[in-house]
Amino acid sequence: MDVSEPGRLADMRIAIQSVLYGNAPDHIERAAEALANSASRAVSAGSIAEWEYRLGDCAPDPTLSDSDIARITALVVASGGSLEYTHFGANLGSAAGHNRLANDSGAGALLILNPDVRMDPDTVQNLVGALGADVGIVEARQLPLDHPKEYERYTGDTSWASTACALTRRSVFEHVGGFDAETFFLYGDDVDYSWRVRLAGYRVVFEPSARAFHDKRLTLSAGWPASKAEQYYSAESALMLAHKYSMSQRVDRLLDEFSTSRVSYLERAAKSFRDKQLSGLLPEPIDPNHSVAQFVGDFYAVHRF
Amino acid sequence: MPYTVSEVPAPVSRPGSPTLLDLIRTLGRNRFASRGFTRATDLLAVEFSRNAEQQCPFLSVILRTQGQRPEALKDALLCLAGQSNEDFEVIVVTHDASADGFALVSDIVASQPASFKSRISIQEVHGGRRSKPLNVAVEATRGRYVSFFDDDDLLFGHWVESFARVAERHPGKLVRSVVASQRAAVEMWPRDQSGFRHMNWPNAEYPAQFDQFAHLQMNFSPFMGWAFPREIFDVLGLRFDEELYVCEDWDLILRSSLLCGVAQASELTAIYRRWEGVESSYTAHDDTQWQASQARVIAKLNEHAVVMPAGTVALLRTLWADRIELGRVQAELHALLTSRSWRYAYPIRVVMRVADFGRRAVYGVARRVKRVLR
Repeated sequence: MDVSEPGRLADMRIAIQSVLYGNAPDHIERAAEALANSASRAVSAGSIAEWEYRLGDCAPDPTLSDSDIARITALVVASGGSLEYTHFGANLGSAAGHNRLANDSGAGALLILNPDVRMDPDTVQNLVGALGADVGIVEARQLPLDHPKEYERYTGDTSWASTACALTRRSVFEHVGGFDAETFFLYGDDVDYSWRVRLAGYRVVFEPSARAFHDKRLTLSAGWPASKAEQYYSAESALMLAHKYSMSQRVDRLLDEFSTSRVSYLERAAKSFRDKQLSGLLPEPIDPNHSVAQFVGDFYAVHRF
Repeated sequence: MPYTVSEVPAPVSRPGSPTLLDLIRTLGRNRFASRGFTRATDLLAVEFSRNAEQQCPFLSVILRTQGQRPEALKDALLCLAGQSNEDFEVIVVTHDASADGFALVSDIVASQPASFKSRISIQEVHGGRRSKPLNVAVEATRGRYVSFFDDDDLLFGHWVESFARVAERHPGKLVRSVVASQRAAVEMWPRDQSGFRHMNWPNAEYPAQFDQFAHLQMNFSPFMGWAFPREIFDVLGLRFDEELYVCEDWDLILRSSLLCGVAQASELTAIYRRWEGVESSYTAHDDTQWQASQARVIAKLNEHAVVMPAGTVALLRTLWADRIELGRVQAELHALLTSRSWRYAYPIRVVMRVADFGRRAVYGVARRVKRVLR
C-alpha cells in the first residue's frame, strides 16, 4: 500500500472549492453562508486550522457581479475565511475547473462542493473526522435523496465517492494526479478519481453523519428526471470508464448498443468515443486485473436499491 | 405546569387582530363621522391590512419533536434550510422531551446559520397527547399558511415554493402536494453514532390527486403534504382534537378540507419515512387506540352537516345506483338459494362433493406411491 504519512488536518487550512456555470447568485450566497457556518464551527472545534472558499467560473460572462462577490466575501470573512473568485474565461468543465482551483491553492485538504449544495452545521467537522490516514476521499450524505450505492456498515467503505460534497487530502490529490480532465468533462470524473485513489492504496469512505442538501427533485411517480446534459455526459463517461478500466468487452457492447439505439444522445456518445479512438485521444487503460473498478449493470457499485 | 414557552416570536399584528386596525374601523363607524372621514378610515384599514399581511411570512412550519432522534432532526432542519423559497418561519415544538433532549434540540437550532436561525423559535410542551403540542404551536404562528412536519421526515427543495405558488392561485384553500414514502432502518454509523440507512428508492405510493370521498375511508395524504390557510384556525376556530390518541392529522385534514376545499400542487415535494427498528406512532399506540381514534374522527363528522365538493351529486347517484344493483343481485341470489330446484338438487351436490373428495384422495395416494417407487 502506497500510503504516505499525512499531516494533521487540525493544523491545516482546507479549501472549499466550487465550479460555477451561470448559477443563480442568491443560491451561491446561501450555500456560502452554510459552508461558512460549518467551516467556522470546525475551526472553533479544533478540527481544522483555517479555511478558504474558492470559486472558479466557467461561464462565458461572470456569474457573479462585483456586488455579489462583495456580499459573499463579507459573510465568508465574518466567519474567519477568505474568498477567491476566478473567472476562467472558458468552459473548462468540472474536472479541469477543480484541478485549476486546487493548483491555485496551497490548502492541505480540498473540499469539493457543488455550488448549489448546502452544508449542515457539522458537515466539515464530520468529513474531517472521517478522513483518517488511510482514507483518500470521504463523501457526505446527500439529502433529500442519498445515493443508492452500497456502503459497509460502520466503516462506510464504498466503491466510489460522489464529489457533490467530498473531502480529499491534497497529498492524495497530487499523488493520483487530480481529476482526469482529459477524459471526463462533466460526469464520471468522481468515479475515476475514487478508483485511482483506491488503486493508490487508500480507502474511499461514505460518511452518513456529514450532510449536504442537494436540491434534486423527482417526478410525480418518483422517477429521476435526467437532464439532457446528464444523459449525454453519463453515456460518454460510461464508455470512457469502461475503456480506462480495461473492460474492452464492455466497451464493445456499449458501442454496439449505443450505435443501434436510435437515441440521439447515445449515438452521439458512441460517435464521440470512436472519433477519439481514431484520433488516439483515449486514455491508456489501467487496472487490468479489475482490482478496484466495479461495473454492475449501468452502475459503478453494488446498489442498495 | 401544562407547558412552558421558552421562546416566543415577537408579537406581530395579524390581519384582523384587535389592534390599531380595529380602532380605525371603530372610528369610521362612529355615527358622528362624516362620509369623507369614513372613506378615509376604510382606505386606512385596507392599507393596514395589507401591511400586516406583508409582515407575516407566507408559511409557518410547525416541527414536532420529542428530542430523541437528533440525527433525523438535523436532516429535517437541513431540508428546511435548503428551501428555494425562504418566506417561512419554523416553530420547533418539543413534546415531553427530557431536559437533555430539550437541550440537544436547542443546541441543534443554535448551530444553524444566522439567516435560518433567526426564523426558528422553540417551544417546550409537556403532557397531553399528540395534538397538544400542535395546538400550542399554532397559537404562536404568524404565517398566512401553516404546515406540519415531523422531525423524522424529508423535504425536497421546492416544498415551500410549491405551496406558495398554488396558494397564490387558490387563496383560502388547503394546498396539497404529493408525498413519497421511503423505508429507513436504524444502524450504527462510524464512531458509534446512532444512525440509519434508507432501504429503498422513494415510492410514490400516495395518490397524486386528492379524493375527498376516499379520504373519508382513510388518510391517503401524509401530513407534511399539506398547507392550511391560517383562517381555519383564526376565523373558523378549528384546533387539533386533544382527545385523539392518533389520527389528529386525518381529523384536521377532513374537517378543514370540507370547509375550505383543496387545491392540488401536482408535484412530489416530501418523503415520509417508514422507520424499522424504532418506535413510531404505529408501534407506540395499540389497535384499540387506533380504532377508537378513527371512530371518533368519523363520528364527529357524522354529527354535523357537511358541504361536499362539486361532483358529489353525480358520485352519490352512481353509488346509489350501484347499491340498488347490489340489492337486486342479492335478492336474485337469495331467490336461487331458497328455490325448490336448488333444494331438490341437494343430493346431486352431495354426491359430486364426495366424488371430488375421492378423486383428490386417489391422486394423492398415487403421487405418494410414485415417490416411493422412485
